[in-house]
Amino acid sequence: MHIVVLTKPVPDPAAAAERLGPDMRLDRAASPAVVNGNDEYALEAALKLVEAHGGEVTLLTMAPPSGADTMRKALAMGATRGVLVTDPALAGSCVRSTDEVLAAALRELTFDLVFSGFDTSDGTAGVVGAAIAARLGLPYLSNAARIEPDPAAGRVRVRRITPTGYDVLEAPMPALVVCTQVLGEPRYPSLKGIMSARSKEIASRSLADLGLDGGTVGGAAATTEVLDSRKPPPRGATTVVRGTAEEGAAAIVTLLASRRLI
Amino acid sequence: MFPAFAEVPAYPLVFAVFWGAAAYFALAMARHLRIFAAARAAGPSPFSSIPARTLGLVRYAFIQTKMFKDWRAGLMHFGIFWGFVLLTIGTANAVTGGIIQAILSAPFDGFIWAAISAMQNVVAVIVLGAILWAFERRLISKPERLTYSRDGLLILAMIGGLVAAEFFAQVFEIAAFGDVPGAFIASFLATPLGGVDHGLLAAAFGILWWTHKVIVAAFLLHLPGSKHLHVATAFFNVYFRKLAPRGELPVMDLEAEDATFGLRTLQDLGWKDMLDGFTCTECGRCQEACPAWNTGKPLNPKHFIMGIREMSVEAEHGLNLIPNSPLVRETYGLDDTVHADRLAKPIVDDAIPFDAVWDCVTCGACVEACPVLIEHVDKIVGLRRNLVLEDSRFPTELNGAFRNMEGVGNPWGQPPASRLDWTKGLPFEVPLVADVAARGELAQLDVLYWVGCAAAFDERNRKVARAFATCLDAAGISFAVLGQEESCTGDPARRMGNDYVYQMLATSNIETLNRYRMGEKTIVTACPHCFNSIGVEYAQLGGRFRVVHHSAFLKELLADGRLRVVDGDGGSRRSVTLHDSCYMARYSGVVAEPRDVLGAVPGLELVEMEKNGKNTFCCGAGGGRMWMEETRGTRINASRTDQALATGAGTVATECPFCMTMLKDGLEAAADANPGGEVRAIDIAELLAESLDPIQPARFSGRELPILQ
Repeated sequence: MHIVVLTKPVPDPAAAAERLGPDMRLDRAASPAVVNGNDEYALEAALKLVEAHGGEVTLLTMAPPSGADTMRKALAMGATRGVLVTDPALAGSCVRSTDEVLAAALRELTFDLVFSGFDTSDGTAGVVGAAIAARLGLPYLSNAARIEPDPAAGRVRVRRITPTGYDVLEAPMPALVVCTQVLGEPRYPSLKGIMSARSKEIASRSLADLGLDGGTVGGAAATTEVLDSRKPPPRGATTVVRGTAEEGAAAIVTLLASRRLI
Repeated sequence: MFPAFAEVPAYPLVFAVFWGAAAYFALAMARHLRIFAAARAAGPSPFSSIPARTLGLVRYAFIQTKMFKDWRAGLMHFGIFWGFVLLTIGTANAVTGGIIQAILSAPFDGFIWAAISAMQNVVAVIVLGAILWAFERRLISKPERLTYSRDGLLILAMIGGLVAAEFFAQVFEIAAFGDVPGAFIASFLATPLGGVDHGLLAAAFGILWWTHKVIVAAFLLHLPGSKHLHVATAFFNVYFRKLAPRGELPVMDLEAEDATFGLRTLQDLGWKDMLDGFTCTECGRCQEACPAWNTGKPLNPKHFIMGIREMSVEAEHGLNLIPNSPLVRETYGLDDTVHADRLAKPIVDDAIPFDAVWDCVTCGACVEACPVLIEHVDKIVGLRRNLVLEDSRFPTELNGAFRNMEGVGNPWGQPPASRLDWTKGLPFEVPLVADVAARGELAQLDVLYWVGCAAAFDERNRKVARAFATCLDAAGISFAVLGQEESCTGDPARRMGNDYVYQMLATSNIETLNRYRMGEKTIVTACPHCFNSIGVEYAQLGGRFRVVHHSAFLKELLADGRLRVVDGDGGSRRSVTLHDSCYMARYSGVVAEPRDVLGAVPGLELVEMEKNGKNTFCCGAGGGRMWMEETRGTRINASRTDQALATGAGTVATECPFCMTMLKDGLEAAADANPGGEVRAIDIAELLAESLDPIQPARFSGRELPILQ
């Protein structure tokens, strides 16, 4: 079974140093990059499935050349290889360009399933998976809490979380699945994984390789423009409530009442 | 032919009985060595540090200093040990045809041998008394730390039996055949037997004399498979003890091809680790000191070491006493080498449960307590290394700590940009090393203050940093900090088995420190874990730095008169107890310094906890436990808090940011014993800063001090 996982390098949220440069694009020098947290959950789910059913996991990323370094961290978790779509013309891409480029890259690959994370911690649009499914005409299985492929039958069954419970969906493969954190904590790479990731293949693809034109995708063709970006105001002072559970509850009720919240 | 043993019936048989048993003993011990030979990791070299090792042998094996930490048991053991050694002269003489006696009797008209006989009489009585005492402990008072087994009683019975048989044989010998020069106690006891029939006395002598020799032989047959093996192995274990600093974990080559990372199976151990197993006598001093075991967790250091021994014994099961020669092996295909599959069994979940591996706080109390210098902590970290680096098997909470250390350089996952938040609002400047270097003023810098992640990010510990910096400023010390260039030293990662992340952080810190030539300066820190990493462990990676703990530094400032405290009003004194950090007191022997600082604070009266100094009891946060949930047993910090509150002290002084957090939490949670949270944990630097004279010696500072908090 072949699974492609979409992984994006994002500024490490823990560093809290994410900021835009004067060109209103992400200042990549300001913050260390990590694999987008939700993508790691998708990768973990994919790794578990190939461990159970056999097969390979390919990572697909659209990023500047430095994205290869971040991709090594995901390869260390156990993915087989990576494909990095990188082209100077892609700087400043909007969501529409991103999904068009990734869809083009997927057309070159053979796969049974494509996994995407729920959203990314920097862009947070959360539509790339859906857009790719639409472009490639793949069945779209979102909010997955459980993924059960049946390679022999060529079908996949997904438990999709809904606001009131869950649905069980089934679709023919290949299909695109949007993964959630319910699927399980991403593994911590072993040292052997880190070592072997150093020599794993990362294939680089330019727009020309994918048969795309820098005039129709990428920064030049962006459909949205960032005008301003602001940080939320810092949190106010914290009130710590001490004492027994009863005392604590009473104090919290009083506090909430004083703010007219209850 | 053997004049000294003319009265012993069938004397020459003793050569067969004793030397036969001795040969078996030698072969059985050599069989243990065949397991040692399977060890892949290196052990200590027998030819290095001979003077230090010999001194250790005298101190720990012959004077048995560690045994006297429990002075009653120590005295008992000392009596049995030296008694046994001295009585062995007689046994050795008896199994060599009396040659020792003949040689020693030649000069001074037999006086030397008579003196030895007199001494042996005294010693025999002492040993018998000590044996009775030991029986009392095993049968009546039953201290919790001992392992109760038939083997223990059998050994005592054998020692008691052989000493009694030898002694009373002499009594009957004197009664039957006349005086033995020097044996005054035996002579005295023989007096009432004067009228008894000679044949009866001679028979009793013969029976007892042979009883002694048979027990000696039985002892030699029993010993190789007994827990009492330490009589043979302890000397070697003490001699080959770890000479590296307590806080220096074994170095690890992460680039090694095809290596097992850390300890997985018996074979990944060094032979000294196996010797540790064969030396353990189940005295249980380690379990008695272990904070994890004391709070009801599955970790028991004694069971772990005995588990390694049991695995070793199991691995040699079925080995011939005499190894087949290569010829026999080839001709008959009789392969009697150690079974590979027995050596390939993982240690975790055999010698030690998985959970117990993670219960260890690396406080080193077990190592400190062990009379035969067994090394528990290095092995436990070795097991963690294998679990983390090869299997990624560890408590899930650590995932975040590892990622945070790797990603943003601190286990809390705080943004590096907030590293200097603790300095906000201080009435003096805390300069950055980078700025000092840019101004070309590094030469004027007295010290680098290594703040550490806890003091940079934890709200409570930031106050400690502010207090310490205030002391430095008041003393007119020119200091600077690294700010965002500082990252976690890697100590938690290393203790949790993640040497990959440790080496990454350590290498980068060493680079930073070397860039500013900090090898030529003094680095001062209030964190014992940073102290150990930078000052002790970085040397393995080529970083040599002089690091001073803030307790020692403040002590010096006070001693030099660079810091002045307000005069005590002579009024009511506040009682304070000091919680020693394991890494300072036990690992690095820094015990007096924090006490000196407290002694300089007017109005403070130090009340010690029962477990203090090198015998301190961990707060529960060492070994990366700071970032793990404590789900098994009761909480270690609650136990230590109870010990602190039992002193009745109004303040618990700390000298480590992790201890601070743990004891602060413990004191706040101890609602009944500490109503209103009145007893608080306060760092020694804070206690000192609070009592600094507003006017400091002008030659150093001359500036008015800020009011803290």
